[in-house]
This record gives sequence, C-alpha cells and structure tokens, in this order.
Amino acid sequence: MDPQKPACDNSSIDPEVWVDRHGDYLYRFALARIKDSSVAEDLVQETFLAALGARKNFESRSVVRTWLTAILKHKIVDHFRKYSREQVAENIETIGDSIDSLFDNNGQWRIKPAKWTINPMKIYEQREFLSVLYKCLAKLPERLAKAFMLREMEGLSTEEICKALEISATNSWVMLYRARMQLRGCLEINWLNSDGSETK
Amino acid sequence: MMKHWMFNCKEVSQVVSESMDRGLPIHHRIFVHMHLLMCKYCARFRRQLLLIREVCRSEKVVPGESEDTRVLPQDACDRIKQSLQKSS
Repeated sequence: MDPQKPACDNSSIDPEVWVDRHGDYLYRFALARIKDSSVAEDLVQETFLAALGARKNFESRSVVRTWLTAILKHKIVDHFRKYSREQVAENIETIGDSIDSLFDNNGQWRIKPAKWTINPMKIYEQREFLSVLYKCLAKLPERLAKAFMLREMEGLSTEEICKALEISATNSWVMLYRARMQLRGCLEINWLNSDGSETK
Repeated sequence: MMKHWMFNCKEVSQVVSESMDRGLPIHHRIFVHMHLLMCKYCARFRRQLLLIREVCRSEKVVPGESEDTRVLPQDACDRIKQSLQKSS
C-alpha cells in the first residue's frame, strides 16, 4: 500500500494535488479493469470532476484515496452499463436471474457452484476476473447493483443502504441476496469459461 | 448431495447472504454451520461470496500485484487539471 498523507492536511482538498498524488494510482486501478487506456483516462478525469463537485460533502471522513477509489468504481460500472446498452452483441451471459431456476423442488442445487481458483501469482488471471466482475455488475438491474456496491464496495451498513435507497431492512437483505446470486452466477459462466481450465 | 438437517441449500444460500449483512439468531447460525460442514457446494458458495466481497472492497490495483509502473500519461494529466480548473 502506498503511503498516504492524512486527509486533514490542506493540500488534500486541492484538486490539482489530487491529480499529482492519486492520478497514477487511479489510472492503474482503471486499467486493471478496463483494457482501453483512453477510456481509463476518461474515467479518471470523470472521477476527479465528480470529486470536485462533491468536495463539500467529503469532510475528511475518510482518506482521499479511499473516497476517490469509490467514485472510480462506480464510474467503471457505469461505463460498462452504458457500453453494454450500446453493444447489441455484448458477450456477457447471465445466469441466476431467477433464483428458483438454480435449485430443484427440494431446494438442492440444480446448478452446483463450480470450484473457483484464482492464482495470486497469475496477474493476467486476476485482471480477467476483475474485468468480468465489473462487466457482470453492469449487467445487474440498476437498483440491485446500487445496493450491492454500497454494501460490498463501500462497506455501508444495512441502515445506511435503507436510507439511501428508501427501502426496508428486509427489502435490503432480499436485494443483496439477489444481487449476490446473479453476480456469482455471472462470474461463474463468464470468468471460468473464459479461462477454460475449470468447468466443474 | 444429501438432505441436510433443517435448512436446504436454497435456504442456506439465503441465510449465508444475510449473515453478511446482519447478525443472525443463534439457532440459524448453528443450523447453517451444520449444513456447511456437510455440504461442499454451500461451503464453496459461501467462500465465493466472501471472495467477491474481499475483491470488491480492496483498493489494490490488482489483488496480488506489487509492481505496476504504468503512469497516467502527461497529456491526460494536463487535460484533467485543465478541466478541473474550468469547473472550479
């Protein structure tokens, strides 16, 4: 982890200092998930602009880098969502849209979860996983993706998610369950199949 | 896959997901634990949800990567700074 300056230091709220201090990191973060370098540059720019607009809300509640990374993660999903709407022949398949179809009448797995392996030494494999993860997130219905990202990417509590999406606690658990099921299924068919080495 | 005590796999998948968002009643925790000991698919499912969480929350560029030396190209850097100046 790179050394970070404390969020309370004055320069940390100067947008140009953000670019010098976090630009390379955000660019690499985007590039590991989006292969196109010009798209990565654009998303980094959008991230900084969004951060500038929301600067007043920041209030040093977290380190700048964490905050900027959270914005970038949303931008990456938004990019794939827009991209997949534009591309008729998007090659991401989905599974588990209907949870019932994954189980038999007795509630046993009909489509059994396959074994996943991500070799930490194989950077390419990890990049592939990250790329498919973001594409799959973009395939989720928007509200489910939003709930999932607030919880699993930003670590918000159920209470905070209920407030943000104006839903009940029970509703949030159901939405998060559906999001996880769909995302897991999407990763399984698109990532494992792309790797080709694990189908069982 | 055999029949497991109390919860079936579908119910377990739901309870495992909920356990990631709230504390569960003790009897649910016990039933799920028992089921996970006996059912490798549900145990695998749980590990995968936790892996997804770990990857999503990570701020690392790539989870296992230590060296990535690519930098934001200078022209992009200048362009971004200009757009920030215009907007501020």
